[in-house]
This record gives sequence, structure tokens and C-alpha cells, in this order.
Amino acid sequence: MDSLILLEGVSFRYEGAGSRALDDVRLSIAPGEFVGVIGPAGAGKTTLAHTLSGVVPHVRRGDFYGSARVAGLDTVTASVVELSKTVGCVFQDVESQFVTTMVEDEVLFALENFDVPRDEIPARVDRALADLNITDLRSRGISTLSGGQKQKVALAAALALAPSALVLDEATGELDPASSVQVFGLLSQLRRERGTTIIVIEQKIMLLCAYADRLLVMDQGRVVIDGPVRRTLEQPDRLLSLGVNCPRVTTLAARLREKELYHGPPPINLDEAETMVREAMA
Amino acid sequence: MIRLENVSYAIESRELVSGVSLRVGAGEFAALAGENGAGKTTLLKLVMGLIKPTGGDILVGGASTRGLRVSVMARTVGYLFQNPDRQLFGATVRQELAFGLDFLGVAKDEADRRVGETLDLLKLDPDRAPTSLSRGERQRVALASLFVRRPRILLLDEPTTGLDYRECVQMMETVSRLNREDGVTVLMVTHDMEVALDFAPRMLALSGGKLLADGPTRGLMRDEALLKRASLVPAQMVALARRLGIAPGEADDALSLAAWVERRAGVNAKGGMPDAGRP
Ligand SMILES: Nc1ncnc2c1ncn2[C@@H]1O[C@H](COP(=O)(O)OP(=O)(O)OP(=O)(O)O)[C@@H](O)[C@H]1O
Ligand SMILES: Nc1ncnc2c1ncn2[C@@H]1O[C@H](COP(=O)(O)OP(=O)(O)OP(=O)(O)O)[C@@H](O)[C@H]1O
Ligand SMILES: [Mg+2]
Ligand SMILES: [Mg+2]
Repeated sequence: MDSLILLEGVSFRYEGAGSRALDDVRLSIAPGEFVGVIGPAGAGKTTLAHTLSGVVPHVRRGDFYGSARVAGLDTVTASVVELSKTVGCVFQDVESQFVTTMVEDEVLFALENFDVPRDEIPARVDRALADLNITDLRSRGISTLSGGQKQKVALAAALALAPSALVLDEATGELDPASSVQVFGLLSQLRRERGTTIIVIEQKIMLLCAYADRLLVMDQGRVVIDGPVRRTLEQPDRLLSLGVNCPRVTTLAARLREKELYHGPPPINLDEAETMVREAMA
Repeated sequence: MIRLENVSYAIESRELVSGVSLRVGAGEFAALAGENGAGKTTLLKLVMGLIKPTGGDILVGGASTRGLRVSVMARTVGYLFQNPDRQLFGATVRQELAFGLDFLGVAKDEADRRVGETLDLLKLDPDRAPTSLSRGERQRVALASLFVRRPRILLLDEPTTGLDYRECVQMMETVSRLNREDGVTVLMVTHDMEVALDFAPRMLALSGGKLLADGPTRGLMRDEALLKRASLVPAQMVALARRLGIAPGEADDALSLAAWVERRAGVNAKGGMPDAGRP
């Protein structure tokens, strides 16, 4: 299948920085994939997200090499506004992302500025606020919200647009555990119903494993592992050496394997772990 | 050490914290959890004296926060903001760490020693501007700037957000060591139930501004009704133990669960004798 996102030999060095934040990144993502991205601090994950949104190299300046295409647009020649119609992003520093001061306006602003038919807008706003359980915050000032509430507003604004691709850069970092699970559920649903391509940068390995089909591990500006989640989990020591832990269910599988109680593939969620344990005991 | 007596905090007519009473003793390590908007940050700010209660009283080291200046609190209490950018002011990482030591009356050579030690731990270029660092790197600098001041109490608002697993463990082990070896009191807001289970023996669950529960972390994570009300999801091994019908506290990490499975497998192999193979 044609890729929605195609990076060929992309390198980037921030102005004034000594080393490259991205170093020869090659990456192809097909429409409708759910890709998880993980890796240590400073690995280049945010820089990768910024490359997809065009913030790099248009806003964050530096030396850019290689080619990055998103839905046929070259990110170096296309404008950030053009790109944002295809790629919806929620960034780590949520505060710097807001363009309005009221919750409802923030969701409205996105829709009004992206050629969404007028008569569809109110229903989309309602739906997005309800999806994130923030209907009661509708007329609140954004600056008075808690950290997690702000993240939910940014997520609602991005989800309301229903772009072809969604890039979330640690966008659930401050959400309570139940809300994080819920957001991953919403992403799955978007992918299922509209074929949205999902790219989530996350440190919550358990959620990535339970929802994504492909995992990218970044380190020092490079994509050092790229493969199906399950296969990636088969190399726990390599992951650990990159500062990434396996989900606890995978660790349990390794312990049971040492005791020769289990011989199958690593489980990636609770259901599979339960089955594994019941088999091991039988 | 920290005492809240029927504490409330209201803004306009909205009550953000309602009638919370609790004590955290010297040398304790407690996690504070609850849904987004529960009032966790507000509660932490109240303890630090950044805001004053509109009802009840808060005592830190025996003194009411009402009469305490924040600058005096800062001598003994280290506060980590939920957003690290709120507390990074230095032009370089080195300055960030040294900032405030001078004001605390730490002698120059002692200050240099502490900053040097912490820089080694941090593994970041000391001459870089904090604003040019990645989010996780900034979070580490913010935490490190608390450690150099050797506080007696740490109030940490989501300290592990944005950290990768290795850094998260490293940071939490540093906090844990300060707690165990130097008796530093820790009150830590977290959404990471794995971190809460691994490091905080005690958990406080806040919901809608009220204290819903206060008890051993392991026990609370098995309280289904509480988890639902406070939007919590148990740590993965605790959730698995529950599904398997294992009694609370019996096996809630991968190691003890594996041992439990092994015992059970042994029992089943011996024809299901209920206690065979057990000591
Ligand atoms: N504006 C900037 N100027 C100079 N260097 C920068 C800038 N922003 C980031 N860097 C550097 O580029 C590298 C990659 O940073 P990036 O923010 O992409 O990392 P990350 O993987 O997102 O990390 P984190 O998990 O901490 O968010 C890091 O070494 C970082 O210090
Ligand atoms: N100035 C304000 N005016 C009105 N409401 C406010 C104000 N400041 C905070 N709130 C509300 O108080 C509640 C508690 O906020 P707080 O920041 O303490 O929550 P929290 O538990 O830390 O949440 P999170 O997990 O999202 O960080 C939230 O519902 C928030 O919207
Ligand atoms: Mg980042
Ligand atoms: Mg908070």
C-alpha cells in the first residue's frame, strides 16, 4: 500500500546544537496504521512529531536534510497550515498550543478554520467534549483548568477535526489512569471507523502494547527498532538497554519461562496474561 | 510533620478542596492519586503555603502555613511543579542548580560540591540552556534543583511525567533513598500506579476535592469501588492477581506472581492436594 507518511534519510540539527536531533530517519507509515513511538528523553521523538507537522524546519529552525512527505505534501515546501489539515497534533507542551482562552472556543476555532461545513460544527464540538468527559468545562477559562483538564481540551480540539493522521506527543502524560485508557480507546475507534492513521509517542508501554500494532523505538536521533509490537517484546534485554521496559505481563512471562512453566509468545495485555497463567497452572 | 485539619479551599464560590484531614509523619512516603481535577495540585500548593486555606488549618513542622512565608518554607520544603517550566529560570543547567543555594546560606565550596555531584548524576551538559532541552531533560533538571537544596520534605507533583522508564526508576530511587536514609518526608502526586505501588507504601485517594481513602497502596489498589470513583486503574500485576482470585497483598509483582504460579502448578501436578508443596 502507498504510504501516508514517508521519511527518507531525514536528519535535523537545531540551530546552535552540537549534534543531530534526527539522524538519517527512514520511515514509511501506511494509512490506518496505529504506531507507537518510545525511547529515552532526548531521543528525538518530539523532533519527529514536529517534522510531521512542519514545525521543523519552518518554526524550529536548523539544518534539515532528506525528504519528508505527508499525504503527498513535502513538509519543507508545504506550509504548516496546509499540513495541519492532514495531520492533527497534540504536543507535549500543551500550554503553548492553545490559541484561545475559553474551552469551547478552542475546539470551535479548529473547526471554523479548517473548512468544516458550518452546520456540522455544533454537533462536532458537543461530541468531542463528551468523548473526553469535559462537557462541564465548556465555558471555563483554559488558564483556570488543572493540568490534565488542559490536556483533555487539546485532545478534544484535535479529535474534533478528524484529520487523516493524528500525532500525539505524550498527550496523555497528565491524564488520570482511567482517562488514558479511554483516550487509547477513542483512538482505536477513530482508526476503525475512519481509517485514521495514529502515531502516539508515549512512555506508557503497557498502553502502547495493548493498542498499537507497530512499535518504533528511537535512540539518539535514530529509529533503532521498528516492528510489530509482539516481535519487539521478544527482545526485552535490548529494550532495557535503550531505557525501555517491557510491560509487567511480559516480565511475568519471562519469569515463567525460566521456570519452564510457559513456552509461548510474550502476552501483551491482561487477557493474554490470564490465559498464560491458567495454562501454566494446568 | 504535615497535618491538615478539616482543610477547605474555595475560589469564588467553587470549593476545590473540602474538609480534608490527614497527617503525614516525618519520614513517610505517601502517594496522592485521583481523577483530573480532583484537587491534588491544589492540596499540594496548600501544604506548601502557595495558597492559604479558606477553612481549617495546615501545620507543617508544627507551624501553621497561614503565617509562614513561602521563602521560609523553601528552606526545608522542596516543591516540584506539575509543569517543570514553572520553575526553570537559570540561563544554564549549572546556574539552575546553584540558584537558591546561596540564598539558603550554603557556603560557596559546599555549594560547588553539591552542584558538581548532582551534575554527574544528571549526565547533561551543564552549559546548556534549560529551554533548549527536551521535556524529560527539563523535568530531570527541575528535580535535581530540589535535591541540591537538601530539603526535609519533598512535595512532588507528577515527578515522573515525561521521563522514560530508566530515568523514572533512577529518579524514584533517588527520592526513595532520601526517604529511607535521610528520613525525608515525601508527598507525591502521581497517575502512574506502577510507580505508586513500587515506591509509596501509603496512598491517599482524592476525588472531587474530598479525601476518599487513605491506606496501604497495595490494599487500596484492590478496592474496586474506590478505583472507579477516583478514576484509577490498578497496577498491571495487581489487576492480574485480582483476576486470578489471589488474596490482596499475597502476590502483586511479577516475581511473587511467578512464584505463586509455580506453587499452584506443583499442587496441580500432585493431583490437586490443597496444601501440597507449601511450607
Ligand atoms: N530548541 C532546541 N535547541 C537545541 N537542541 C534541542 C532543541 N530542542 C531539542 N533539542 C535537543 O534535540 C534532541 C532531541 O530532542 P527531542 O525533544 O526531540 O527529544 P524527545 O525524544 O522528545 O525527548 P523527551 O522524551 O524528553 O520529550 C535532544 O538532545 C534535545 O536536547
Ligand atoms: N482559578 C480557578 N477557578 C476555578 N476553578 C479552578 C481554578 N483553579 C483550579 N480550578 C479547578 O479546581 C479543580 C482542582 O484543580 P487541581 O489543579 O488541584 O486538580 P488536580 O487534581 O491536580 O488535577 P490534574 O490531575 O489534572 O493535575 C479543577 O476542577 C480545576 O478546574
Ligand atoms: Mg519529547
Ligand atoms: Mg494537578
